[in-house]
Amino acid sequence: MSNSLLAHLPAFWVVTLITAGLNAIITMGLYFSNSAGALSACHAALAGVGAYVAAVLTTNFDWPFPVALLAGTVTGFATGMLLALVTLRMNELVAGLTTLAFGETIVIIAFNLDYIGGANGFIGIPLQTTFDAVYPLLALVVFAAWRFDRSRLGYAARACRDNPHAAAAMGINVPRVKTLVFALGSGIAGLGGGLRAHYVLVQNPDDMGFFFSINYLIFWVFGGSYTFWGPVFGAMFLTVLPELLRFSLYDRFIIYGVILTAIVIVRLQGVITRVPLGRRPAFVAWLSRLWRRPVPSASLGQSQGGR
Amino acid sequence: MEQFVQQLVNGIMAGSTYAVVALGFGLVFSVMRVVNLAHPEIFMIGAYVAFVVITGLKVPGQGLGVLAAVALFVGVLLVAMLATGVAGLVLERLVIRPTRGTYILTPFIATAGVSIALQNTAQRLFGPDPVRVPSVIPPHTFMLSGVRVTSMQLTTFLTAVAIMLALRYYVHSTRWGRATRAVAEKPDVAAACGVNVNLVSQLTVSIASIMAGAAGVALGLLYTSAAPFMGLLFGLKSFICMLVAGNRHIEAIMAVGLLLGVVEAMVTGYVSSNLRDAVAFALLLAVLFFRPQGLFGSYEV
Repeated sequence: MSNSLLAHLPAFWVVTLITAGLNAIITMGLYFSNSAGALSACHAALAGVGAYVAAVLTTNFDWPFPVALLAGTVTGFATGMLLALVTLRMNELVAGLTTLAFGETIVIIAFNLDYIGGANGFIGIPLQTTFDAVYPLLALVVFAAWRFDRSRLGYAARACRDNPHAAAAMGINVPRVKTLVFALGSGIAGLGGGLRAHYVLVQNPDDMGFFFSINYLIFWVFGGSYTFWGPVFGAMFLTVLPELLRFSLYDRFIIYGVILTAIVIVRLQGVITRVPLGRRPAFVAWLSRLWRRPVPSASLGQSQGGR
Repeated sequence: MEQFVQQLVNGIMAGSTYAVVALGFGLVFSVMRVVNLAHPEIFMIGAYVAFVVITGLKVPGQGLGVLAAVALFVGVLLVAMLATGVAGLVLERLVIRPTRGTYILTPFIATAGVSIALQNTAQRLFGPDPVRVPSVIPPHTFMLSGVRVTSMQLTTFLTAVAIMLALRYYVHSTRWGRATRAVAEKPDVAAACGVNVNLVSQLTVSIASIMAGAAGVALGLLYTSAAPFMGLLFGLKSFICMLVAGNRHIEAIMAVGLLLGVVEAMVTGYVSSNLRDAVAFALLLAVLFFRPQGLFGSYEV
């Protein structure tokens, strides 16, 4: 289906849409990671770790692409878990800063590892990522986020974010939930990074720096940090927006910045926020009944507080 | 030994600009709990104002007397400070005030948008390549027992110290400074005591911007160049200085700024210039590991 649809799109828009999808996957990783209240300012680095691992495996060891992607995901997961263990006891700001420094450290390590190309970047990666690979995986990640939101782990993570002490008093193992959730998000970032490497075909140390991580943070907060549609929307919209602005080639990033700021000022909590639940559309209610665990509507609305 | 002292001096001279920009970050962060990502771009505006004013005046460059050169430098500084001060007022009113007090990342990304817009405006106006800022200070090298100090380095350092002293005086010895400290401590109590919190915030951002603008002029003249993206890495490092020092003491931020400059100069001189940019992050990692509240004082969210 997507092939016939793609045939009608100019190649330029296919590129843009694939980039948007890749960004959306990595930003979804941020959604998972940050759902327990740990701020990650290094998702570009985590994605880069996954990307390097997957790219080395396909290029130097001829591993099949899906297996290499999986390996990248697992590496991202492991890296994220180690990082989470370090930042566990810090408050949100300091944890965020530690991840920042961690990300820059990864960049410097990559710069000085000759095996992965050093400052020149890792080149010669085979083209594997297509539209048909990105969007099903994005759908999978979104589906996972949707289930995550309604799972025990999801509730526990939000409890840890909103009030760790109360969560601990309720019997939630706060350190474990925080670590696990952060690692999950890092794994998804690793997946997105692996996909990205096999699309861009070169992986540079610079792609993992702070300013790229900030970009993912912008996508996440802009779209709405409390819903899983938020990051998807933010990444898609902010990736496509500069391309839509190509009518004024030289001014487009000025306009982009102004639009970004204006929308943040108007929608302080992000564009997509959790509507205080009154009635849901009938088909949504029907869908969620399929999963047999009815959502207590009040508890969803409350976690909106504080932002 | 001589090389060591030389690198030390170079580091102190360069580090003083880190310190001034870091002070601006720290001031805004302490008073408003806002990480102002547009701050490095205000710094860039300062450098470009220096460029516009000096090239506009068609300064001869060489034949100026010392007094005239200093007067010119101070004049450029004042113009840049005026421009960036106004920019700070506008920034606070339009972007920071509506977004502050929500979630810490909201003003962060709102100012990130401003920063993107400003960088690209500068690129549009002056082109993507660095422009040459003609020096107004007559080039002269002082030799102090084998250590070279150029007149521009000295000017930069003296400007930075003057700004720091002025800020210290303002924060500790004036009525408005007291109000600022009160707001930094407890905004709602300060408001209840009759402090106009919005005005204090506006003044704070404006003062921070003025300092960044002055630093921009000094650095633009020191390296004789201004570029649209000059604020990025510089701003990040200054921000790290603020974090390493903690946001409690002005002197601490100044000291850490100088320290960063010195360590970077040492690494450049003795190890490798590739690792220069890594120093700041290593420093941050080390400090956060042992003292998560910064070396000299607390920031809590």
